[in-house]
Amino acid sequence: MSRLRRDPREERATHRLTDGGRPRWGLEAPPASGRLRRDPRREIEAARVPGLQRLRLDRTSRSIIPVIPSPVEPLPKAAPTIRIVEEPAFLVAVVPDAPGGRLTPLDRQLLGAARDLADVAGGATLVLAFGTVDGLGLAGADRVITMAGGGSEDPSARAIALATALSALHPRHVLFPESAKGGDLARRLVARTGEELFTGAENLTGKLVTRAAANRRIEQRMAPPGLMTLAPDAHSPHAGPAHEAREIPAPDVFPSGGHGAILSVEDLPVAADALSLAEADFVISAGSGIADFDLFRALARALGATPGASRMVCDAGLMPRAAQVGASGTVLEAACYFALGISGAPQHLQGVARCEHVVAVNTDLHAAMVERAGLAIIADAHPVMSALLVALRAEAQE
Amino acid sequence: MKALVLLSDARHPVSGRPAPAATELQAVALAHTLADEVNGLHAGPDAEAARGALGHGLTRLEHRQLTAGDDPLPSLVAAIGTAPPDLVLAGPRAGAGAQTGLLPYCLAEALGWPIVADAVSLAVADGVLEVIQALPKGARRRWRMRLPAVITVHPAAPAAASFALGVARKGQVVETPGLPARIEGPPVAERPYRPRPRLIASAAAGAGAAERLKAATQATGPGGQVMVAPPPEAAARAILDHLRAIGVLKPAERG
Repeated sequence: MSRLRRDPREERATHRLTDGGRPRWGLEAPPASGRLRRDPRREIEAARVPGLQRLRLDRTSRSIIPVIPSPVEPLPKAAPTIRIVEEPAFLVAVVPDAPGGRLTPLDRQLLGAARDLADVAGGATLVLAFGTVDGLGLAGADRVITMAGGGSEDPSARAIALATALSALHPRHVLFPESAKGGDLARRLVARTGEELFTGAENLTGKLVTRAAANRRIEQRMAPPGLMTLAPDAHSPHAGPAHEAREIPAPDVFPSGGHGAILSVEDLPVAADALSLAEADFVISAGSGIADFDLFRALARALGATPGASRMVCDAGLMPRAAQVGASGTVLEAACYFALGISGAPQHLQGVARCEHVVAVNTDLHAAMVERAGLAIIADAHPVMSALLVALRAEAQE
Repeated sequence: MKALVLLSDARHPVSGRPAPAATELQAVALAHTLADEVNGLHAGPDAEAARGALGHGLTRLEHRQLTAGDDPLPSLVAAIGTAPPDLVLAGPRAGAGAQTGLLPYCLAEALGWPIVADAVSLAVADGVLEVIQALPKGARRRWRMRLPAVITVHPAAPAAASFALGVARKGQVVETPGLPARIEGPPVAERPYRPRPRLIASAAAGAGAAERLKAATQATGPGGQVMVAPPPEAAARAILDHLRAIGVLKPAERG
């Protein structure tokens, strides 16, 4: 590759000013090349993170530099494609746990398995839900029946309602999650109807279903029977286009109470402090950016979260070793992780990998935890903790 | 008060030798919290594993003899019918065999008794049984019911009593012939267990170690909202609103 040879006399001639008799040259004007000149000082000014003593630069241009809207008209968004199964050959029923109207990961895997079973021969998936559930169409549900008696937490009443509904609908397969709630409901139903139940399926296809038995020494396999429960993390969730999740009327079910000997069923309040980290649902965690641990514990109590800590804090003896989150501590199964003053070493992030939501408060914009978080606050954690406590107390007094 | 613990022909999960299942021993300990007489019941060809529970606080073990492959349910119903206890306890799964966890439910249905799974604590007041049930994520649920009832025990229940040789030697085993009943069901093929990989958030096949670590540690969704140096009050409000939007924190009570 050869460069064009510069001609200094010609360059000088372009700067010549023609305003008087004496020859003058204006050298401050830029030479007329095609490329725009970068101004590194202006770029640094634009990337500077405000409000901090130390110079911090954000070169990701994620939040600081406003994005200039392009003059090009955006293409009209194609309507999301929804797959509709109008005349299903058969039904595959699914009874999800859906605590609080949200599908759990196992519920999504269950719907993925039901989708595969239905697509073998043009069937449709049917969700039998106790109460309204969000996001069923994306998870692969064709039909939805909202069963009456969603308020009652007594599983024996639910099993009776389910047995009546299933005898009217005649689905080819019925799938339950092998969780505490779904497994209990499936076994109650089977004990009542006397059908066969294939529990804890670890591999499920249209032709064969497999489960472990005898302390995982043997595996039992057969063609998929009518009723099955699916083990966690055994099947991938539905990843294709959304389905319509059409609400259809529930078959007539006579409202029935549970077993006559059961007097009351009530949920007890969870003592978040006393929970072990492995079974906690909401964990608030302190890292080396935290100095005031009394304030941290008060905030954990006010939020109803289980306190955790990073390795550095546990090594320093500021929190017990049982509170350590990460590869050498506890791997969490929590729904939400609230990290205060934790930058997020890879070993720590492994402990958070299965958490659905992460909220981070950290002074470092470039921390890995900030990258992982759904909501990140770039600030010192102590004033934020105090403000959170004040806001929670004000709400409690209202 | 009389309690009965169902014992399976369990195998030790590692050595494979006959040994009582851990949750069944916890059931014995849980029964001792409210019953003064705790008996064991086993229906099957061999009671060697169930005999091991005698040293953990069982007074007496009743063994209903069956041939291999028989359904134990009719024998259990008959044994419970001759001398009905106030409470029947069982583990969540048998310690060997198919391990479907169905038997306590079928037994409760056959007896017409209520059943509660995953109990961690029991109490009786005025003939009403109070059961604390363990649910996932550390939640607890309280059931109140009239006796008799069938209860299965959660691994989080109090630990079992340690083995005592003298108590084990003193415990008596009563052998009675059971009711032969063949299991009728669809044919199930059996073969040695082959572990399958659990589903994880994985990078594309053939990705490098860095990509796999990233897939294992980072969220799959788009990057979240970032607030740079906000006032603490605004940050607190944003955090509380976010926690309520994802359903972790209960909505503020107004009025």
